[in-house]
Amino acid sequence: MSQTQTDELLKEFAPQLEHTGLKGKIWIGFLIFMVCMGLFALYWQVSRGHIVTGMRDNVVWGVYIVNFIFFMGISYAGALISGTLHLFHAEWRKPVIRMAEFITVISLLIGPLYIMLCIGRLDRLPNLILFGRIQSPITWDVIAISTDIIGCFIFLYLAILRDLSKLRDYEALKVPAWQKKLYKMLALGYTGTPEQQIRLKRATDIMAGMVIAIAIIVYSVLAWIFSVTLQPGWHSTIFGPYFVIAAVYSGTGVLILAMFIFRKVYHLEKHITQKHFVNVGVIMLVLAAFFGYFTFSEYLTKWYGSEKNDEILIKILFKDYYFFFIFSNYVGVLLPLIVVGFKKLRTINNITITAVVVIIALWMNRYLIVVPTLESPYLPIQDARAAWLHYSPTWVEMVLTAGGVASFCLFFTIASKLIPIVQVAELKEEPKESGDIYLR
Amino acid sequence: MKRIGIILATIILLVLPRMSSAQDNKEKTAQGPAETSMSFICTSTSDDSIQLKAVISVKHDKGPTFLANAPVKFTAKAGDSESEVGIAKTDFRGSAVLKVPAHNKFSRNAQQLIEFKAAFTGNEKFASANGEFAIKPSKMVVTFYEEDSVRHVKVTASQLNSDGTESPIGATDVTISVPKMLSMLKVASISVDSTGTGTAEFPRDIIGDSLGNLNVVATIDENDTYGNVMAKADIKWGLPKHLISPDRPSRELWTPVAPLWMIITLIIMLAGVWGHYLFAVIQLIMIKKSSKVKVEKEEATS
Repeated sequence: MSQTQTDELLKEFAPQLEHTGLKGKIWIGFLIFMVCMGLFALYWQVSRGHIVTGMRDNVVWGVYIVNFIFFMGISYAGALISGTLHLFHAEWRKPVIRMAEFITVISLLIGPLYIMLCIGRLDRLPNLILFGRIQSPITWDVIAISTDIIGCFIFLYLAILRDLSKLRDYEALKVPAWQKKLYKMLALGYTGTPEQQIRLKRATDIMAGMVIAIAIIVYSVLAWIFSVTLQPGWHSTIFGPYFVIAAVYSGTGVLILAMFIFRKVYHLEKHITQKHFVNVGVIMLVLAAFFGYFTFSEYLTKWYGSEKNDEILIKILFKDYYFFFIFSNYVGVLLPLIVVGFKKLRTINNITITAVVVIIALWMNRYLIVVPTLESPYLPIQDARAAWLHYSPTWVEMVLTAGGVASFCLFFTIASKLIPIVQVAELKEEPKESGDIYLR
Repeated sequence: MKRIGIILATIILLVLPRMSSAQDNKEKTAQGPAETSMSFICTSTSDDSIQLKAVISVKHDKGPTFLANAPVKFTAKAGDSESEVGIAKTDFRGSAVLKVPAHNKFSRNAQQLIEFKAAFTGNEKFASANGEFAIKPSKMVVTFYEEDSVRHVKVTASQLNSDGTESPIGATDVTISVPKMLSMLKVASISVDSTGTGTAEFPRDIIGDSLGNLNVVATIDENDTYGNVMAKADIKWGLPKHLISPDRPSRELWTPVAPLWMIITLIIMLAGVWGHYLFAVIQLIMIKKSSKVKVEKEEATS
């Protein structure tokens, strides 16, 4: 492909890096406002203590942990999807893989912050490192997440290296000098010599395999924090795979939503077509079936076993959390099966709406795993006031949740202003004859 | 886009009301002072004193809460008048405690009982509350002995008369228990006879602290004459809590070392993962180096 063609392709994606329109500025301003609201809520919580949250001695975890599991889940999903598509050389992946990589890294930055919000004595946090004991599942999680963050950053960097070199060499790009310097520095002098290509491919292939393995292990470790605990609903042998499936499922939903938004905002209709939505939608359908299977298996065995506390938990789920339970485990499972399953319903809008429902349903699923169990422990707390036995989030928790979502969107927006949201290098170098659908 | 926005908004509107019944830390604006209640009990303790304990709680829709920092005035009835015993403020559990000597000169009624009264006068926010409790001072002593390899706990209970003398209490039931993490574990019951003594067999399977020490508590609860009586004694008759052998490490956090399989697994996994990271980083370094070599070659050629 000639230099002119490269320039043409870069020219197409350059505006998203060069300019931010009025709508974009308003959007960024809104996100910054929401993040500031979150910071205010954080100040409120730190200055007044955890009494401003809904967490009490009985229910010690609330939406913070739910958000942590959710963000970590979509992160692992991004790693799994991008790693798998890379390794299997799925041709259609190219316009969407960058989004999956961004989802991985950005949600990995947001998720662990929610753990910090749960900790009453943050000053004791260094003790986790100074006096950490590997017998503790919490230590496993700290090791796993920090390993995962570094691995995902390396994978993302390898994935964007060629684009960075293209942006460095594209003279017509009208971006600030510091941004050009940044491209030059990060491009590491990559010019696409045969040696560099071999080295880059070798490293990327290895890291793609690693991020898949790490994502499965790390999310299983997170699941084990629950399943090694003797609590009704948590002490389950299938929690590891159940969490992994739920993570990828929710991440697929986030990926579809990101595809929809960026397709509209950056006018990527030529690159992200209905086929991409259907392909990712089919992945979502398969995961919905797996998720439904695991959920059914989990609750059926508990219900049939009729252990006293399991029965109490199931009663709570079907009474106090009826709406959440039905939405999460019925609507959240059946809707993708129907929408993606029937060809006539497979429109971009329908698949995106389904993805939004899946995201909300999976967030609720994590809420149902955390809160009702803590409300029905094997050893109930004594002499506590009735209102403290149950949990519901306060405004502080809701604002901090909204702040986290806003941070995710803000980082995503900023990232898309620095690096093209679609892999430019991949697109350029793909020969049209090989059946590449993106150059049509 | 609009359609998705509408659907998203609908879902959020459906979900939020179900979550918004958060614990409201602000109490409802009360119409007048909030209703309060007081529980007042007196306990004769083994240190020859009587503990007066008043607990004040405030009634709310979501259940009662304790009233902290409320002054409680304790008095003892003396004929038609009352003599002040003292004033104590409630703590965060709504509890105001005052101790008076068991041998005292407070007036007694015809049944030889001292009638104590606790009163919270109330203020503009909280209504007043009071409670009464009549008690005959008494005391118990807990001792232990072993006979034919059978362990026994013995209780000797006596009442303190107004003239300063002591005499055995009448037939009364005494509960022997051991404090555990969340509640008292009842281990035996003793019926004290007319001589004020009683014994019971002490179980051998109670878990104590790491050395096997047990804190044994004998109580008479809500007796019409003696009120509450409590005595404590320590004995090394428990099973040591720390049963884990150092040469067989388990998963517990307090074991000296983690299980070997866990250490080996972790090392293999971390070495494998970080080894691959290192490989990827080395490839990046080599890419950087190769670009420098290329530039140098180009400069040399030119």
